[in-house]
Amino acid sequence: MPYDKPIPDPSPHTKPFWDGAKEGKLMLPRCTNCNRVHWYPRLICPFCHARELEWIEGSGEGRIHTFAVQHRAMGAWANETPFVTAYIDLNEGDRMATVLRGVDPNKPETIKIGAKVKVEFEPANEDVHIPFWRVVE
Amino acid sequence: MPAAISKAAAIVGAAEANEIGYSKTPKTSLQLHIEAIKNVSEQTGIPISRIDGVFSAGWSSELAEHLGLHPKYIDTTSVGGCSFEMHVHHALCAIHAGVIDVALVSHGESGWSARANRGRGTGGMRGAGDPWSPGNQMTMAYGFSGAPSNYSHAMTRHNYRYGTTPEDFANIAVVTRQWAGLNPRAVMHSKETHPEGGPISVETVQNSRMISWPLTLLHVCLVTDHGGAVLITSPEIARSLKTKPVWIAGAGENMSHSNMIEMGDFTATSAAASAAAAYKMAGMGPEDMEMAMIYDSFTVTAGITAEMLGLAPRGEGFRLWKDGHAAPGGRLPINTNGGGLSFNHSGMYGMQLLVEAYRQLSGTAEDGGFSGLPGKQTKARSCVVNGTGGSLSTTGTLVLVSD
Ligand SMILES: [Zn+2]
Repeated sequence: MPYDKPIPDPSPHTKPFWDGAKEGKLMLPRCTNCNRVHWYPRLICPFCHARELEWIEGSGEGRIHTFAVQHRAMGAWANETPFVTAYIDLNEGDRMATVLRGVDPNKPETIKIGAKVKVEFEPANEDVHIPFWRVVE
Repeated sequence: MPAAISKAAAIVGAAEANEIGYSKTPKTSLQLHIEAIKNVSEQTGIPISRIDGVFSAGWSSELAEHLGLHPKYIDTTSVGGCSFEMHVHHALCAIHAGVIDVALVSHGESGWSARANRGRGTGGMRGAGDPWSPGNQMTMAYGFSGAPSNYSHAMTRHNYRYGTTPEDFANIAVVTRQWAGLNPRAVMHSKETHPEGGPISVETVQNSRMISWPLTLLHVCLVTDHGGAVLITSPEIARSLKTKPVWIAGAGENMSHSNMIEMGDFTATSAAASAAAAYKMAGMGPEDMEMAMIYDSFTVTAGITAEMLGLAPRGEGFRLWKDGHAAPGGRLPINTNGGGLSFNHSGMYGMQLLVEAYRQLSGTAEDGGFSGLPGKQTKARSCVVNGTGGSLSTTGTLVLVSD
């Protein structure tokens, strides 16, 4: 069955991220001036405002910062309710949004803030493989 | 000590559209604006032609044209529900600077009718925006569906960090409904106004339909129609009118992020900063506030904001409601109109906050002396008003006082 949920539209600016995702790599933008990783991708470093940015391959690991269980959603996501959305603290710093895997949306009390997660990629089409995060402990 | 700009302008009137809530005949946002503007003009005796500054969330040029005005100050700040508190801040600055004398802040939003009209006639925030925006790209794949699906993450984090529970926050919905019971214009006033209206308990809130865990339906604000307008003038004009002035003693605004992915602390908002600016301008502090109007898009919004405004310690905002202080007869009445939770919420709720704050401080809120309903009118002479926009993103804070 083709992927029927919203698919991001890669732009020239974010192409290195999506190219990496196709190869199973979590590419992250880092400022070469202050060395901090930021997310989402900027045109200028949000911390020191330098324009010297590079892409690095991240560890693909992080921890749950907070989460919620969606019982109502729009479009094709409505077919998958309930599902668990979360914000992930990346090991490299800063935060990503995701839908969590490896959790039971009907037992939110078993999902722990601070739990370890790993990234995995789901092909949505030829060009776009979407990162999702799985609880691994 | 108050800053020189403190009380350099006053809100001299506040009115709503002829019909708000669930309109019987679908209305356009423009209609809601115009009805409210006409009403506030009649209330204050200020002719519409005397307005020389127009402030709205994106509507200012259309409104000015519709009214045949050629304003000297045009502001269309539109950053969510707190935009209207920011408009008051900007109007205060413009009047203090001598640029204008009479500012109109206007709101019209057919949150309810837009559904009946299949999307036509809306007037709120623009949609998701540029698909190439990197923030949108990195969040749009994950099934977030509107504000409830985001704000729930703040509740989870607050529960984790402070040991609070959804039941603690449910008290905010329960008390806010008590206020709605005193407001005949509140959608959830009673069984007469809505099948699900009238008093509720923590159990009712917790047993209502799950929307975005841990938020159930009754932790979430309404979606209704609303139009409202206030007029703000220089002190000289304010003193000459038949209506009572409510002075803008302090104003401040700030933001922490736009996209929730950039929210650093999920248990805090920029209201701490916008309130600090407002209190400083006023030469007052949270201890001087006799009531509060706090944007309650969700119970968690109100609870966290009360902490940010300095009305309660971090992690304990909900106690103001749970312990009855915020309730009718309490020491710090909060959201006396019944709130976005039970009175009216059109999408952007900042105007509803302003209208109620004006009514309370000018002594014209619904009460035994006005509409046969005792108890809603408070004795408060000072009020902190805080709007929150976006995904706990932007805030505008006002300190309002009456003579
Ligand atoms: Zn940098």
